[in-house]
Amino acid sequence: MKLITHNMLTSKCLKGVLTGYPLAINATDVKVNEVDFNPDFIARIIPKLDWEVLWRAADSLGHSEGLPQVVESNYEANQEFLKTAHKVLLEVEVEEGYLTCPESGRQFPITKGIPNMLLTEAEVQ
Amino acid sequence: MNETKKCDRKRKKFAARLKTSKGILCVDQPGPNIVLCNVGQATGFEKADVIKLLDTVRLGEKLLNFIAEKGESHCYVVFNDFESAKLFYDTYNGTKAVTQVPIYMSYVDNVPKNEVICNYEIPEGLKIIENFITVDEEKSYIQLFDWVDESNLKNRQVKHYGYEFRYGSNDVDLSTPLSEKIPEECDALWSRLKSCGIDFRIPDQMTVNKYNPGQGIPSHVDKHSPFGDTILSLSLGSPVVMDWRHHSGKYVPLVVPARSLLVMQGEARYDWQHGIQPRGWDPIIEIRSSNQNTDTKVRVITNDVTQRQTRISLTFRCTRRGPCDCRYKALCDSVQSKLIEDGVASRLEEFHVHQVYEQIAGHFSSTRHKPWPKVVEFLQSTPTGAVVLDLGAGNGKNVLKHRNDILQLAGERSAGLLRECAAHVRGASADCVRLDLLQAPLRRACADRVICVAVVHHFSSQARRLEAVSTIGSLLRPGGKALITVWAKDQTKSNYLSKDKENQESNLHVTIDGINLPIHENRTQFKHNDLLVPWKLRKIKENKLENQSNTTLLRYYHVFEEGELDNLCTSADLVVERSFYEEGNWCVVCTKVEL
Repeated sequence: MKLITHNMLTSKCLKGVLTGYPLAINATDVKVNEVDFNPDFIARIIPKLDWEVLWRAADSLGHSEGLPQVVESNYEANQEFLKTAHKVLLEVEVEEGYLTCPESGRQFPITKGIPNMLLTEAEVQ
Repeated sequence: MNETKKCDRKRKKFAARLKTSKGILCVDQPGPNIVLCNVGQATGFEKADVIKLLDTVRLGEKLLNFIAEKGESHCYVVFNDFESAKLFYDTYNGTKAVTQVPIYMSYVDNVPKNEVICNYEIPEGLKIIENFITVDEEKSYIQLFDWVDESNLKNRQVKHYGYEFRYGSNDVDLSTPLSEKIPEECDALWSRLKSCGIDFRIPDQMTVNKYNPGQGIPSHVDKHSPFGDTILSLSLGSPVVMDWRHHSGKYVPLVVPARSLLVMQGEARYDWQHGIQPRGWDPIIEIRSSNQNTDTKVRVITNDVTQRQTRISLTFRCTRRGPCDCRYKALCDSVQSKLIEDGVASRLEEFHVHQVYEQIAGHFSSTRHKPWPKVVEFLQSTPTGAVVLDLGAGNGKNVLKHRNDILQLAGERSAGLLRECAAHVRGASADCVRLDLLQAPLRRACADRVICVAVVHHFSSQARRLEAVSTIGSLLRPGGKALITVWAKDQTKSNYLSKDKENQESNLHVTIDGINLPIHENRTQFKHNDLLVPWKLRKIKENKLENQSNTTLLRYYHVFEEGELDNLCTSADLVVERSFYEEGNWCVVCTKVEL
């Protein structure tokens, strides 16, 4: 699971859960896998993200180094920033661990890099 | 001279095509078999046209067989001897004897044998009493009913006695009997029928149909509730082939001779549909011993045909009131069709969608590699920085790895397929999540594009299909677009159908929680909207697919009618931008409206 994916995941489908966001990450295995750097892509995707959630997720995995807590203006032109963001968004991957719903405490396992977000029928709203 | 050259060139080109597509060789040496190109079933060329050509050169008696395959613009003629064939060839090759287009001919070593073998027995409760009336009686009945043109149905002429049969609702209005009752000339039939041992009530309604050659009647069951359990049909004038079809897929072509009485009772009356194809000829149907078991008789639709003449049929029915009380429910108008309810739907999907995909994941994935061209086309216009969700991504074949300017998120329920997907997207700006479309664990309005290919047809209730499409809508940003595709019920325009399988169908059903689902015969046209499609599982050994299948698994499908997917999108507040049919799928590109 990449952190860009984590930025969009919620547990809102659980019965009694309102937003289910952000999910807390507990990782037992984190890897950095290389992905092609496309600065234009990173620059354009940033406005679509919840940056605070991204920063905290990166921090919880020990990968917040060099990543600003707030996106500065003119970030599109800052190659170094875009590169750091690229790494955090696309290259840092949680291989094993689990996600936790902030409201219900329900855990979602991450195995071989894939978060399992399936719910049983009884758990659904 | 030029014409001869052109003719030769065309013939050679055609010969090459015939060899590769049908395995039939064109030969120079004259023989009894000739292929005619530029004329065939697809161009409306019929046996009658050949006969005309033959009569001019006095070869009428010499024709053994005429074969015009469905959908082809060539056909074959087979002669008794090669001299006749040669005369025909020399007379007509390269000429415009039939149409503006010249007919090119070649001798061929062989002709296709496309006989159709029907293994099913005639419907239970159906009797054909041959020679029920004499030739003289037939003449007087024809005089009695051969009225002057009062055509009121587009396919045939019809007249009613006793009560008017209403074609729109397929019933009669009992409150308005006609002044013209069934003529007393028919009374003689009843005592004769009784002496045949048939138990029936004297009919009070009669419909007379006059079919000219080329006219037919669509497949139908006489509506259950307005009529009693015996329907009789007396044939005058010309024999005809009547097609009998059962909802289980059984098909029986039956010759109904002139002067015969057709008695429909029980299963034949209530559970089968019958109809007559609109054509000027009928195939000759032979009863032969089965190859497997000589005691079993099979019906064979041969390549040979016979011309139809005018046929008049007298159909006799007994009217009745109240709901039907038959024990055949499939075609009964007094039974409300049972809808698949929500609780049943999710169990059905668990057994016949989710579990099946887990089991077939490896084999399934090995049969699907390339992204679908329509997906590539859809994603082409996607701007840099877009978030694309592929919901029901399978093995991720539609994730375009070269697109490092967009985020592609593959959501899939099957763990087996997701493993393949994860391996596929490694190193790309893409990721995988295990999810269920109806419980999508994603933030609202997070996506610029959604693709949902061959997924929505696996939801087994209308409510769940709508929920699936609504979920897609809720995940899209305003202005975002989705490409949704589903299997179409109509497969006639795809490569899915196999020509050899047209009449070969299974009649198995599986019942889940009281829902009776038919099992589809692969590579045939779909006959139901909700059905189970077999997947013949093959194991993978040493990275190779085994040839033999050892297990058959059944996947549930709801196959879509034209416009059905568009309606779902509209109901989910998505604006349909484009809707098209592609290789057996209905596809929609829709947009979430800007706020």
